[in-house]
Amino acid sequence: MAKSVLVLITKPPYGFEEAFAGSRLALGLVSSGNVEQCNILLIGDGTLNAVANQKSEVLRMPSNMEALQDMADMEFKVYCIKQDLDERAPGVEVLNFVEMIDWEVARIIIDQHQMVTTF
Amino acid sequence: MTALTIQLRTGTMMNMDTNVAFKLAEAASDKGYDVRIFGYGEGVWLIKAGQEPKRFPNVGEDTKKLVETGKVEVAVCNTCTTARGFRRGEEIPGMKVGSLTNDLSRFVAESDRMVTIAR
Repeated sequence: MAKSVLVLITKPPYGFEEAFAGSRLALGLVSSGNVEQCNILLIGDGTLNAVANQKSEVLRMPSNMEALQDMADMEFKVYCIKQDLDERAPGVEVLNFVEMIDWEVARIIIDQHQMVTTF
Repeated sequence: MTALTIQLRTGTMMNMDTNVAFKLAEAASDKGYDVRIFGYGEGVWLIKAGQEPKRFPNVGEDTKKLVETGKVEVAVCNTCTTARGFRRGEEIPGMKVGSLTNDLSRFVAESDRMVTIAR
């Protein structure tokens, strides 16, 4: 039975609900105590969730940063594909708890989880 | 016993995703799987009572019959139903307005595989 889940977030922080829903799903799983490991991997447009100093209040939208921070505070990982973020926002400041990785490492991380769900 | 979780994130109209989820659940159940369906986001509409599509399959009623076999369990996200004005008591009997923490996490922990159906 599954003990580890990787949440892949492929959508940006605004314009779609997926990134918010994915990060909330991850928080729900880890806070339940039923799932031992749940980590988040930001890929494609989802890497924009790793950008620091977002001001979601301007849009009167919830902040995905808080959910990602909560995951990190509970010592779960938030990974981000550096190449994908560099293509979209080169040189941008990144949230300090996000671990930047390349696709080679990402493949290993994906393989280490029993379940993967995509948002 | 092998168990499958289906995470459903689209509504009952406008596309066939929910029909696909139902057919997958039915086929897996026929093959001896214990099946759990969790509705998240728009996926909560699966369990809304009173659906009356004129020319399409009534996937809510179809799923109810599947649940009545005792081999399929269905729950949806309470936060998502509340956000949509879908109140407790409006769900099809036998299906549950639940939560990520209590229900999806248990489904995941009890399952060998999870299929995500979303757009």
